[in-house]
Amino acid sequence: MTQDVRDLLHAAAGLYRDDPRASAVLHDCLDRLEQPLRVAFAGAPSSGKTTLAAALGEWPTRALRDLVLLDDPGPADDLPDATVRLVRHLEPDELAAAHPPGGSAFARQSAVNSVLVLARADEVGAGRIDALLTAKQLARRAWREDPLCTGFLGVIAVAGQLAYGGRSLRDDEFDLLAAFAAVPREELERHVLSVDSFTDPAFPGPIPVETRRSLVVRFGLFGVRLALTLIRTGCDDRVKLSAELVRRSGLGELRDTLAGCFVARAEALKARTAIIRLEALLAAQPRPGGDRLVSRVERFAAAAHDFRELRLIADIRGGRTALSGEPAEEAVRLLGAQGTAPADRLGLEPDADPGDIYDAGLDALRRWRHEAERPDRPHAERTAAHVVVRSAEGLLALFA
Amino acid sequence: MTAPAWLEVLNETLDACRTHGRADLAERLRRRRDAPEGQIRLGVLGFPKQGKGYLLNAVLNAPVCAVGDAPTPEVPTEIGYAPEPAATLVGRSRERTPVAVERLTSELGARPAGTLSRVEVGVPRELLSAGLVLVDTPPVGDPRSPRTAAALDLLAEADAVILVSDATAPLSAAELALARHVRTWCPHVVLALTKIDASPGWRAVAERNRGMLAEAGIDAPVLPVSAVVREAAAKAGDAELNARSGFPELLTWIAEQAARPPEQSRALLAAVGVRAAAAELVESLRDRVDAAGQDAGLGQAALLQRAQRRADDLRRRNTRWQNLLSDEITDLMGDVEYDLRERTRKIVNTIDQTFDEGDPVKVWEEFAVWLDEALTEAVETNYSWLAERAQWVAQAVAACFGAQYDQALPDLPLDGSGAEDLDDVRRPKIEKFKIGHQAFTGLRGSYGGVLMFGLITSLPWLGLQLINPISLGAGAAFAVKTIRDEGGMRLQRRQAVAKQAAQRHVDDVFLRYSKEFRDAIRGVQRRLRDHFTGLAEDLADELTRERETIMAGSAERERRTGHIRKEIDRLAGLHQRAGELGTIAGRKRRELSA
Repeated sequence: MTQDVRDLLHAAAGLYRDDPRASAVLHDCLDRLEQPLRVAFAGAPSSGKTTLAAALGEWPTRALRDLVLLDDPGPADDLPDATVRLVRHLEPDELAAAHPPGGSAFARQSAVNSVLVLARADEVGAGRIDALLTAKQLARRAWREDPLCTGFLGVIAVAGQLAYGGRSLRDDEFDLLAAFAAVPREELERHVLSVDSFTDPAFPGPIPVETRRSLVVRFGLFGVRLALTLIRTGCDDRVKLSAELVRRSGLGELRDTLAGCFVARAEALKARTAIIRLEALLAAQPRPGGDRLVSRVERFAAAAHDFRELRLIADIRGGRTALSGEPAEEAVRLLGAQGTAPADRLGLEPDADPGDIYDAGLDALRRWRHEAERPDRPHAERTAAHVVVRSAEGLLALFA
Repeated sequence: MTAPAWLEVLNETLDACRTHGRADLAERLRRRRDAPEGQIRLGVLGFPKQGKGYLLNAVLNAPVCAVGDAPTPEVPTEIGYAPEPAATLVGRSRERTPVAVERLTSELGARPAGTLSRVEVGVPRELLSAGLVLVDTPPVGDPRSPRTAAALDLLAEADAVILVSDATAPLSAAELALARHVRTWCPHVVLALTKIDASPGWRAVAERNRGMLAEAGIDAPVLPVSAVVREAAAKAGDAELNARSGFPELLTWIAEQAARPPEQSRALLAAVGVRAAAAELVESLRDRVDAAGQDAGLGQAALLQRAQRRADDLRRRNTRWQNLLSDEITDLMGDVEYDLRERTRKIVNTIDQTFDEGDPVKVWEEFAVWLDEALTEAVETNYSWLAERAQWVAQAVAACFGAQYDQALPDLPLDGSGAEDLDDVRRPKIEKFKIGHQAFTGLRGSYGGVLMFGLITSLPWLGLQLINPISLGAGAAFAVKTIRDEGGMRLQRRQAVAKQAAQRHVDDVFLRYSKEFRDAIRGVQRRLRDHFTGLAEDLADELTRERETIMAGSAERERRTGHIRKEIDRLAGLHQRAGELGTIAGRKRRELSA
């Protein structure tokens, strides 16, 4: 795929040889293909973009290594390859505003490059202890039921502040929290009722007001209460608490989605960005002889299977297809939701015997071909099965 | 009992709203006028997820409103006093369905959208016993959504409004705009700053909000509250904690609203409503005046200018075509006469030559035929050329009118030359005229060819070059016999007589015909003049009408604008009177409370 795009860009560079600005754009497109994926964080002011980007950015995993996180996208020509879109509430007005703008037919059809994040999930439900669970349910329901969430690869509830605090939890902070947790619950209850009561001079113990204030500013009142509960229920060292806070914050789910939908598809998404920029250039500065290039771009766009895979993964996971249960899980796996290597797609161990991989692939292909051709199934379902068949064929083609 | 002063002002404003097509404003004023007495309605307004439901539940110390992730109703909920908890769904056509309070949320969820107009809930609360009604509204959002409209509908009847905004962020631009709108329609507004328990920076946010409201000229106190703290205080029966929740202040404010003497309150509300409606109406009228002014300023000037240009143009064209026509007719007259003279001169020459050498006795018969033919041809050719030239003149004049000339050219009175009516040449009395005595011996060659007489017009750009062939060849095709046998005086006399007779005939024809073509040309001139004068007059009339229409349009606009201006003045008067009434009502209230 990347090679096709490179060829297209080189052909275009030939066409616009005498135009320095167009040439610069095309060379930038070529350079970007070699660079890491650019993921932008977009959202209204104070929706928590910086906090979330920071929480994700310091993640020391291979999964997100090849990622550049852009806090708030810059000018229009600095097109990000993918977007994490933050909203504070899953309200119609906010969701409508979160919808990415249109663009060319290819841009719209392949618009499988954004994830919606219900940021500040800890504020849901007046900050009760079950806020994060409620937020997750809300997010899942919105993704399945709200037509305004259709275009996203996922709707994920994340408590950015909690994630960041958890990720960067310091020993002294843990010690403080552990000390508070040691106070009997009934006694502590009224002191963690509000920020004011937590920072009240009447707070029992020798911890200065300022220390308590910095703690509540960093973790939020919800974070403090959650940490106290977690320490009481067994997270008795910093590492455990940190891991648990992060786990509950929803950051892991976001990271997995980014890894599966963005990083694993980095080549396709970067190619997409390049094609969209090339399309824009061809449309804005038509050249004699550009027609051939335009039709080549169209052919490329029509053939790009990765975007169909991503869209179908999103549709299956968002509950927008008739598939469910075991077949749905197999379908998203075959489509590459857990990695695009043949073994990942087939659910085999990475070091599986090539012969086994081939046999499993052939088996999957036969079954899904059967699904795709069942006349008793609705058209949409057969179309979906066709996409899976095409993915299975693709993985078998690697053995040819 | 005389009608209160505010009622009169309100009715007048209401009529103005209706007259100017603002039925929405009229409806608001009507509801303000007809509001049931003995009820104080306190509305709660805010954007989504600001904690409206929690706030109301905390005020009532009862879980009346849907909170958290439960879907908020699309219609207002009116919470009033009832000895036992009760809930009623009120449908679109006012049908009432009682439901159990605990099933209210699920009942609401089961109803299809758009079937309800409001929900009524009764709770046994001391606070509400004096006729206070708390109105929970759907969240405000997209200004075009029915939900927002349903929420803002509250302003028609609310005596006071609690605006709800949470402490996680200062007022947004949209929230500030909402506050301004609410304060315009309702004199008593408070901003409840919610969720202060979870917001470390709530004091700064409260300060910031106070500053923003003051800057925007919105007179509304900011009261920070925490429903969570209030709930915990209620559970623990902890008065000190309750004080920290901020709710005692809010409840005091609510009680003040309920305690206001109803008549003054109504007067003040009416005055505020009139002012708001008048201001909105004036704004929309101003927009109309501005739009009309722009329309007039830009459009009319341009139209008039164009009409003026076209009139000037027409004047120029008039001069040009009149000059052209008269010049062309004069030229035509001269040219036609010259052409005819030239043709007849050639004929006369032939006559001379014929009878210089020929014997009239021998050639007359044949000569007479030739002469008739030659004259007829000359006249006809001349005439057809005249007709062509006249047609061309008509076209040239028409061209002066440019693109505006889209009519057929007039028929010109040139159907025939009348050459067939010319008299035959009379035979002169010729002595011893012996017919057939001598035969033609040959053809005289001098006129044996074709004589070309060309008149090249002075207007070659039209491509109208007139070349008039005058063929005398056929006429000259008779032989002149050389005279040998007879000579002397007799022959010469015969020749002179014949020449004279022939020449006189030619002169006659010339005279008669030149009169004819002059008349024809004059006819052409008259016809063309009448035609084009008529056309020019039509065009001038059209322009005059157009200008009149433009002027009349602007006068009409002027009249309408004047009318609107007068209306604006009237509304400004109402606005001022309402302001005075409001001040009186406000002062009375203060005196009473003092």
